[in-house]
Amino acid sequence: MSRGALSWPDCRWPARLWPARRRPIAAWPSAACRAASGLLIALLVGSPAHAAGPATPDIPVLVPVTGFLAAEGSSQRNGALLALQNPPAGVQPKFAVTDTGTSPEGAVNALERALSDGDVTAVVASMLGTQMLAMLPIALAHKVPLTTMSGTADITRKGNPYVFRFFPADSVVKGAQVRYAIDVDHIKRPAVIYQTTAYGQSGHAEILKALEAAGIKPVFEDALDVSVKDMQPVLAKARAAGADSLLLQLHGGPTALFLKAAASMDIGLPIIAGSGLAQPSTVALLDPAEIKGACAETGASPVSAETPEMQGFLARYRAAFHTDPDGFALGQYDATMMVLDAVAHGATTAADVTRVLSTESYTGLAMTYKSDGHGDMAHAAVIICYDGKSRIPAVVKHYDFPIATP
Amino acid sequence: MAASQLLLEVLALGAAYALVALGFVLILNATGAVNFSQGDMVMAGGFGAVLLGNALHVPGLVLLPLLLAGMAALGVVVAAVAYMPLRRRPPEAVFISTIAVGIILQNAANHLFGAEPIAAPPLLGAGRVRFAGIDASVQSLAIIGVAVLLVVFLQVLFAHTQFGRRLRATAQDREVAMAIGIPVDRMVTVTFAIGAALAGAAGLLLANAFFVTPTSGADYMVKAYIAIVIGGWGSIPGAVAGALLIAAFEVLYPSLPLLIPPLLRMAQSDTVFSQTTSTIVLDVAVLVILVARPRGLFGDAVRQRP
Repeated sequence: MSRGALSWPDCRWPARLWPARRRPIAAWPSAACRAASGLLIALLVGSPAHAAGPATPDIPVLVPVTGFLAAEGSSQRNGALLALQNPPAGVQPKFAVTDTGTSPEGAVNALERALSDGDVTAVVASMLGTQMLAMLPIALAHKVPLTTMSGTADITRKGNPYVFRFFPADSVVKGAQVRYAIDVDHIKRPAVIYQTTAYGQSGHAEILKALEAAGIKPVFEDALDVSVKDMQPVLAKARAAGADSLLLQLHGGPTALFLKAAASMDIGLPIIAGSGLAQPSTVALLDPAEIKGACAETGASPVSAETPEMQGFLARYRAAFHTDPDGFALGQYDATMMVLDAVAHGATTAADVTRVLSTESYTGLAMTYKSDGHGDMAHAAVIICYDGKSRIPAVVKHYDFPIATP
Repeated sequence: MAASQLLLEVLALGAAYALVALGFVLILNATGAVNFSQGDMVMAGGFGAVLLGNALHVPGLVLLPLLLAGMAALGVVVAAVAYMPLRRRPPEAVFISTIAVGIILQNAANHLFGAEPIAAPPLLGAGRVRFAGIDASVQSLAIIGVAVLLVVFLQVLFAHTQFGRRLRATAQDREVAMAIGIPVDRMVTVTFAIGAALAGAAGLLLANAFFVTPTSGADYMVKAYIAIVIGGWGSIPGAVAGALLIAAFEVLYPSLPLLIPPLLRMAQSDTVFSQTTSTIVLDVAVLVILVARPRGLFGDAVRQRP
């Protein structure tokens, strides 16, 4: 930049805007004035140094790492952190992890505090549905996108354009679970065992819907509280009802208890479980022999490491966190990478990122993500099965569901 | 499924619950205050067993004495921190302080072990045994055996030793006990140690078959509370009976259609005999007991229920 091309300001107060008697100083020292002006111009038009500098999006991580959802929330946090610590070239994200606990107030406080700290680009938001529902109005008011792994159906049914779910909805994963049971196990008289929680009931409804679409009616259904310890009665009743298969929608711990009891009773029925059985922490509670032949639905199975990219993710995750990743970790990794990728391609504001998340597709490690217009980004599921020798499942079936547009 | 098999499951589950309830009621009797951290003590015992199991690689039965000692020490700390400074305050102060202890234990476990469920080592080993038409896990039989031994030990301690008589005197009337020279504070501290040790034993027994997480204590706390409400507020035999009754509801009620096959063909059998309904029926039974026998089944309440 030469002085000939852009003349320096004369560093005198414009008399019409600021009369002489009210000026703070009569005139700035010339050198200081010119230096300040030069800095201002550089900031306004963009100096070469500024153009080459990294983008620094602010992406707070607000997830439950204590309380009853701590295991899943920790996976979500780890997935986000792995992405934030390994961003695309030219991006240096700012981030801080805040534990939201499991109360809606905890999540709201964490979000409001994060938003008060400055210009937030996007938020990694809790996977707990009740917390998400409380955070949605705040995101709407501040026009900040939330990426989440929450399975609660309602969060993408509120017409809020700032929520983006990167884990397949129950309609997708339960559809895959039932489809596989029909196609491979030829079920006709299933027993459906589910949890009394929102997770269990939502999945139960989708299982029934998928079974009804295939003209199948369960011969036995039972809802279990998460505190139920002895699974033998429910298994014995399912067998007495003449069930030819067991479709589960249970959390991780109860899934392990159920599989243990089924093995001890030598139940001998095909078991197609929910994503609880895809959690490495659940499988760690069981002997490989106890899960022989058992299958489960999930959005993705990173421990199965189907592709070189997934193998790379698995290795980096294990090195960083000394544990195995689950589908939540991978989903949140993909979600955070989509945000960072958008920033790397010039989306510098929350509005820019929201537009990219709403309209663009992104090929992540688990699948290709694209919004269906409501914020549901994931439309694929896999079925994994255990061979009885190892705790690492094999992906036996991929299901891609057409994106349901509004 | 044979009735004898189900009864064995009831006994195993009830025996472990009974240890939780016993620890709870001992502290209640000694202090007059509800120890709301008792459930989290069970959780701490479960994680203690995991920690010792990982370090020593021996069966749970070998770990048990170490765990009992460690948990007793924890009980002494809880007494010193959460009870002694507040012992002359209203009982509500101790409620709050023990709730705080529970929260601290939960967060410490979450920090040290993570949030995922973990299994403690089995008491003797995995495997099953068959006898008299019953197919039982070794763990279930070991749970019953260990719980019976601990209850018998407590009975001998309280009924047949001078130390036990002092503990009972403290529980029955602190002022009189103090007047005749019994070191009441020391007795209360020992009671906390015994209560924590029992909770630790329950944690070891339960954490193999049913795993342990930082938040699993709340469920045990509720069960202990219900057990002593059913059995009689402050009654030791009542606490054991209440614990067995809870286990019976959990295991037997949902299994009634298996024991009485015509119930299987009853309309809405799935719903009427579900696990969820069994919880509702148990809660209704508690209400009925409270109305019909306000002092619980064993009717000899030592303390007034808050």
